[in-house]
Amino acid sequence: MTLNQALALINSRKGNRGNAVYSLACGFEPLHLATLLRAHLLERLPGDGNVEVQSGVYGDLRGNIESAARTAATACAVVLEWSDLDPRLGLRSSGGWSNEAKADLIANCIERYARLEAAIVALAGRMPVALAPPSLPLPPIGNTIRAQSSVLELELEQQLARFLLRIARVSGVRVVERSRIDAPAAALDARMELIAGFPYTVPFASALAAALVDVLCQPAPKKGLITDLDGTLWSGIAGEIGVDAISWSQEHHTQTHGLYQQMLGHLAGCGVLLAACSKNEMTTAEAALARKDLFLNAESLFPVCANWGPKSASVGRILDTWNIAADAVVFVDDSPMELDEVQRAYPGMTCLAFPGKDPAAVWNLLGRLRDLFGKPELMEEDRLRQSSIRASAQVREMAAEGGSAEFLRTLEGTVTLAWQVDQADKRPLELINKTNQFNLNGRRMGESEWQRLLGRNDTIVAVASYQDKFGPLGKIAVLVGSQAGRKVRVSHWVMSCRAFSRRIEHHMLDSLFRHCDAEEIAFAFANTEKNQPLREFFAAVGVSPDAEGAYRILRSGFVDGRGALPHEVSNLTE
Amino acid sequence: MNDTKERVARCFATVFPDIRQDEIATASMESVAGWDSVAHVILLSSIAEEFGLNFDLEEFRSLVSYALIVDFLERNSAHG
Repeated sequence: MTLNQALALINSRKGNRGNAVYSLACGFEPLHLATLLRAHLLERLPGDGNVEVQSGVYGDLRGNIESAARTAATACAVVLEWSDLDPRLGLRSSGGWSNEAKADLIANCIERYARLEAAIVALAGRMPVALAPPSLPLPPIGNTIRAQSSVLELELEQQLARFLLRIARVSGVRVVERSRIDAPAAALDARMELIAGFPYTVPFASALAAALVDVLCQPAPKKGLITDLDGTLWSGIAGEIGVDAISWSQEHHTQTHGLYQQMLGHLAGCGVLLAACSKNEMTTAEAALARKDLFLNAESLFPVCANWGPKSASVGRILDTWNIAADAVVFVDDSPMELDEVQRAYPGMTCLAFPGKDPAAVWNLLGRLRDLFGKPELMEEDRLRQSSIRASAQVREMAAEGGSAEFLRTLEGTVTLAWQVDQADKRPLELINKTNQFNLNGRRMGESEWQRLLGRNDTIVAVASYQDKFGPLGKIAVLVGSQAGRKVRVSHWVMSCRAFSRRIEHHMLDSLFRHCDAEEIAFAFANTEKNQPLREFFAAVGVSPDAEGAYRILRSGFVDGRGALPHEVSNLTE
Repeated sequence: MNDTKERVARCFATVFPDIRQDEIATASMESVAGWDSVAHVILLSSIAEEFGLNFDLEEFRSLVSYALIVDFLERNSAHG
C-alpha cells in the first residue's frame, strides 16, 4: 500500500461511525507508520467503521507504552528500534562510538530492556500487544568488514534475543517475526530520519504495518483437520499394495508424507482435533494406522471413518462427533475429485490439496496449516481438547442410549464455578470470543472492555470448569452479568461445545440464582445464525420473551422446570 | 490547469481533506489551518511519492506553499 493509497482510504472513511481505537507506541515520529497502520487496520477490520491510531511523544518509547496502558485502546503495536535502547545506536545522536562508549552501550541496553519489559508486561495485562523487534541496521560500529559479524553486534543481537524470549512468554504479548515482514525496499530512510525523525522508507513502513495488523488481528484459528489416508497421510494405496508397503520416509522417496505426518503430530500437540476420512475397508485403515513407525500417534485421529461411501457423508459424521461447524475445519486430500465433492457439500470448509509429489508445494502447505491453526498462545484447555472430545462423543452416545439424568449421575461429575476471575487468565475471554453455538447473543469483547467489566463493583462473572470420570474438560463456560437488588442481568453467556449434553448449563443457572440470592434473571439474548443450542436450552427451562420482548426467568419458574441436577457443584469465591 | 498542477492539487486534497478546491492554488503553511510540521512532512512525502522523487532538507524547508511546490516541480521537470 502506498502512502497516497493509505491517505485516500482514510479519507474515504471520514465521518463513518464505530471508531475502534488502537495504540502505536514507538520512540520515533510515528508519521507514515501511524497512517499506514490505520489504513491496514481499516482494510482488515470488518464493516466500514473508522479506526483511530493513538501515538505518543518523540524519544520516549517506555513512556509511550505506559501511556498506552492507561487508554481504553483495543490493542497496542509496540515498535522497538535500536535507538530506543541507546540513542547512540541511532542516526540522530552524537554520543560517540569510542571503545568506552561501546562498553557503556552494552550495559545501558541491559538496563533499558529491563525497564521496557516491565512496561510491556503491564501493558499486556490491559490489552493484546504486538511487539516488532528492531528492523533498522545497527550503525557501522563493528571492527570487522560488513560481511563479517563483530563481537559487539553479536552481543547486541544476543541481548535482544534474550529479551524477546522473555517477553514472548508473557501472556498477551505477540512478537512479530522479523523475517515475515515482506518489504520490497530496505528499512532505513536516512534522509527522512534526519529531516523528520521518521526512520523508515514508505514501502518498509507499509510492510511493517501489515505485519503488525497480521499479528494483532488474527482470524479465529481452525479447530479440526480431517485427513485422507492413501496418497495423503502415506504414499501408496494400502488396500492394493498391503499395509507393509505404504511409506512415508526419505528412504522410500516419500518423505513429503512423513513431513505431513509430523505436522499433524505437532498440530495434535497444540490441541487441534484430527480425524481420518478414507475410501477404504475399515480393517485396512486400522491395520495401516497400527504401524509402529508412523510419525503420528494414531490415537490422535478420532474418529477414523473408512468406508466406500461419499466422503462428504464421512465428513458429516466427523463433524457430528466433534460437534463443531464446518467453517472451523480443514479437509486435506490428494484427490481433486474428493476435494470438490466435500467442498460442494460444505462450502465453508477449507479444502486443501495434498501435493505429495511436489516437495516445495508440500512445504508451502505445512506453512499454510500453521497459519490456519496458529493461535497467539496455548492454554491448558488446548492440551485437554483431544482427550475430552473422545470422552464427549462417548458421553453423547451413552446418553442417547441411557437417555436420562440417571446416566449423567454415573459420570461422577463436578462443576466448579469460580466467581472471582484472575485478570491475567485469558481463557474466559477466549471462550467469549470464539464460542458460537451455546452463545447468548454472539457479542464479542475486547481485552480492555473485559478488564473494565472485571473492575466494576456490580459485575458478576462465573467461570465454569468440569471434570468427570472420563477426565477434565478444563474451563468450558463463562457467564457475565450485573446485579441490582435481587435482579440479575446476564450480558454474556457461552459454553464450549465439548461440554454439551451434561446439563452443566442447568447447574450454572441454578448456582447463579443461589450465589446472587436472585429472584429474577434477565438475559441480553439475541438470535444468531448458530446459537440454536442456547435457544433449545431456553425453551427447555422456560426462558421466554415477555410482553416487551425481554427474556427473563423467575426463580420459582426455573426450579419447576430445570429438572435433575446430576453433578456435584463446587463454588470458588476467592 | 496543467498535469503537474492537477497532481499537486490532488495531493493537497488527500492530505488536507477539508480544503476547498478554490483554496488550493493560494494554499500555504500560513493559510491552511492544519498545515503544521507533521502535515508538511506528510504532504511532501505524498508529492514525492506521486512524482517519484525525493526532497532534500533544504527543499523541505523552502517548499511551504502550493505555488512554490508547483514552481519547483515544473523547473525540475524542465531541467530533467
